[in-house]
Amino acid sequence: MGLAEELVALVGADRVLVEPVDLYLYGTDASIDRGPVKNVVFPESTEEVAEIVKIANRYQVPVVPRGAGTGLSGGAIPIGSSLVVSLTRMNGIEDVDPINMTARVGPGVINLDLSKHTKALGVHYAPDPSSQSICTIGGNIANNSGGPHCLAEGTTVEHILELEMVTADGQVIVLGGQAPDPVGLDLRGVVVGSEGTMGIVTSAIVKLTPNPLATRTVLATFNTVEDAASAVSAIIARGIVPAALELMDKLMTVAVERFVGAGFDTEATATLLAEVTGHDSAVDAELEIVREVCELHDAKAVRVAVDEAERARLWLGRKSAFGAVAQMAPDYYLHDTVVPRTKLAEVMAKVYEIADRYDITMMNVFHAGDGNLHPLMAFDSTEPGMLDRVHAAAKELVEVCVAAGGALSGEHGVGIEKRDLMPLVFNEYDLDAQARLREAFDPDGLFNPGKTLPEGSRCFDFGRPVPEGVWV
Amino acid sequence: MGWVTDSAPTRAELSACVQCGLCLPECPTFRLTGKETFSPRGRLMAMSAVADGVVQVDAAFEAIMDSCLQCRACEVVCPSLVPFGRAMEGARTELTAQLPSSQRKARHLVVGKVLASPALLRMATLGVKAGQKMRIGKLLPATLRSGFQGIRPIMPVAVEAGSTYPALGERIGRAGFLTGCVMDVWFSEVHAASIALLQRAGYDVVIPPAQTCCGALAAHDGDMKDARKLAQKNVVAFANVDVVVVDSAGCGAHMKEYENFTQDGEAFSKRVFDINELIAIAIGSGRIPTSATERGDVAVQDPCHLRHAQRIVDQPRSMLRAAGYNPVEIDPDGRCCGAAGIYSLLQPVLSQQLGAAKADQVRVSKAKVVASANPGCEMQLRSYLGSGYEVVHPVELLWRAVQEDDR
Repeated sequence: MGLAEELVALVGADRVLVEPVDLYLYGTDASIDRGPVKNVVFPESTEEVAEIVKIANRYQVPVVPRGAGTGLSGGAIPIGSSLVVSLTRMNGIEDVDPINMTARVGPGVINLDLSKHTKALGVHYAPDPSSQSICTIGGNIANNSGGPHCLAEGTTVEHILELEMVTADGQVIVLGGQAPDPVGLDLRGVVVGSEGTMGIVTSAIVKLTPNPLATRTVLATFNTVEDAASAVSAIIARGIVPAALELMDKLMTVAVERFVGAGFDTEATATLLAEVTGHDSAVDAELEIVREVCELHDAKAVRVAVDEAERARLWLGRKSAFGAVAQMAPDYYLHDTVVPRTKLAEVMAKVYEIADRYDITMMNVFHAGDGNLHPLMAFDSTEPGMLDRVHAAAKELVEVCVAAGGALSGEHGVGIEKRDLMPLVFNEYDLDAQARLREAFDPDGLFNPGKTLPEGSRCFDFGRPVPEGVWV
Repeated sequence: MGWVTDSAPTRAELSACVQCGLCLPECPTFRLTGKETFSPRGRLMAMSAVADGVVQVDAAFEAIMDSCLQCRACEVVCPSLVPFGRAMEGARTELTAQLPSSQRKARHLVVGKVLASPALLRMATLGVKAGQKMRIGKLLPATLRSGFQGIRPIMPVAVEAGSTYPALGERIGRAGFLTGCVMDVWFSEVHAASIALLQRAGYDVVIPPAQTCCGALAAHDGDMKDARKLAQKNVVAFANVDVVVVDSAGCGAHMKEYENFTQDGEAFSKRVFDINELIAIAIGSGRIPTSATERGDVAVQDPCHLRHAQRIVDQPRSMLRAAGYNPVEIDPDGRCCGAAGIYSLLQPVLSQQLGAAKADQVRVSKAKVVASANPGCEMQLRSYLGSGYEVVHPVELLWRAVQEDDR
């Protein structure tokens, strides 16, 4: 028997893909690269995942776990002919506990489905990536995903209490627990954000957050991106932490408005979407502060969403931004970097300067509140030399952000995309420590190889055999 | 080999997709399977793979395309505005050209020829009528049984080709009414209610005798040749009316896209209206009275080609409210019921799961009456709900209420 036959014997032919065209669909995610897929398997239980890992081990085939495939850094793209383990069918929501505010979820549960499921109980799952209508909790754990409302609530790692996962040798282990401070080494933080390199998460107990009593959403427009960025810093300097502070530039607003028709001002150079949540009296007071600060920073107009329908339309616009770019050009490349909030205005000016120099259409939509930039280049990859220009511009963008005291990735993960940029922020000892930690979990390097760490991260090569076809 | 027909998905249609994945949760077949091979993004990627010469149009490609319901829920959430329905019809046309199977040919005989032939339809109707009398439903194989049991008791045809039904009160315009294929013979009460309401709303209603089947089922199945012929015939037949009125959501959605099938289609499509649209306007302007009598709960089922393809959501609810009913929401996501034209015959397993889920949504709502503005959905609902439920077109409820209040 070969790999595919063994998988079919385990889960049945209906849950194993073998046809070339079927496999082709699993060679990529929402990013722009592509890799080779040996087979795709759809487990439905932790036990099946463990058996699948053991089978893959026997064939020394790399294993790439996959959620909804909405990642933007290539984390779910195989390097070297791999077995893709799609966890979409492990989508059970159990033990919803509105008193302790927890729930047990499978990795394939869609982020927004969880919040819809618990809505009647007055609680929700707080991290809200823009892709929350489709991205999975498993994928969120792999990337330590954030979203507009993580400014106030924190990213995924702060909402994971317990993890069950299958290790590289096919064992099932449990990390963390429901206690506020579980005994023993807290390895949750190692696994959350490890992009499938430490193990395959098969179940998680997540923290749920009370739905806010009141919500106010403000739309402010500015004549310059600098004014808007300065307003963001000033709002937080006034001592309030809005639930979200999101910025869009003009080109992005035009694309979004064409899709949602929410009444965004397509003439404004910069649009700020701010949301405050809490008690009625508190949100009104905070709303006034946001309005006042925006006006102090020369806002063109400040408008408050009148009802839930308008609020929903505004957010639909914000959260559809990346997809809306296709109206501008057939391809896009999006970065995810972080800069100190106080440097926002200065870095944004450089971002536009780089785009001008490389003659690439630049659109911006980002989590301004935590300085998390998403400079987005829209282009046509069939234009000769374009991809090279995009990659060169992207590298400069990251360098500018890191030089300003920022970080490589805010929430999208490192994946393939930023792997080789890791030395910009980590020295050889840092990288060596990370590589050794990873080796402790996955000695044969079969779990999502080629992701997160650049080649040669280990200071001392022990000459361990590398599976055939793997580009480490 | 790539593509071979002039209807193939175009480079522009395919490159509009940036693979963001926002369509996946809206796709009923992705929801059931969790597989990219059953998702809009996956289907577009497979089409691109053919266009790029990476894969051939083969049986595996066919399986990916044929599992699509063409419900077009993906289009509503697509921020890149990918014309998915059009691309899928293009891919199906390629399947017709490149993988000509006897089954596909037999299907095209039905959707392209039988549906357009009143004589053949009459024969089919006689068969159905006889079958209903003999109660053969239970004897049929499962794939046919659900469809058959959803058919209304056959009534005499309500409208006559060539006749004119004059406007009552102030005259607004001249409406050409599409009698359609099965609607005419199997849903004659819906036509009677639609025409009566249109007269009330101030339209002279004419039934152009040269009209034919809209061609939607042919187009959905990749029978482009017949779809074009039928579209051209209808464009001519409806040349002398102000508006073209359709009371079947699937037909209306298709006729609003005749630009893809015939040169004069674009101007024609601008004149096409679903009955829900015109009657809702007439209610708003007071030409059709609003009932003061409370008539209870009605579950609203949104046909995909009304809600997703035509983006008509509020109008059927306005009509029900005007009729004194309380519209009850059964599905905030507007998921397909699994009827999807001839899908229920071709993909019985997936169709059955969706049909059963939709029936459960109705049962949970506690309403005993369901309003659905499309014949396929109506048959599917009736079949999966079983006895104890009434499934009707919203115009029927409104017309009943207007008549009752008149008395």
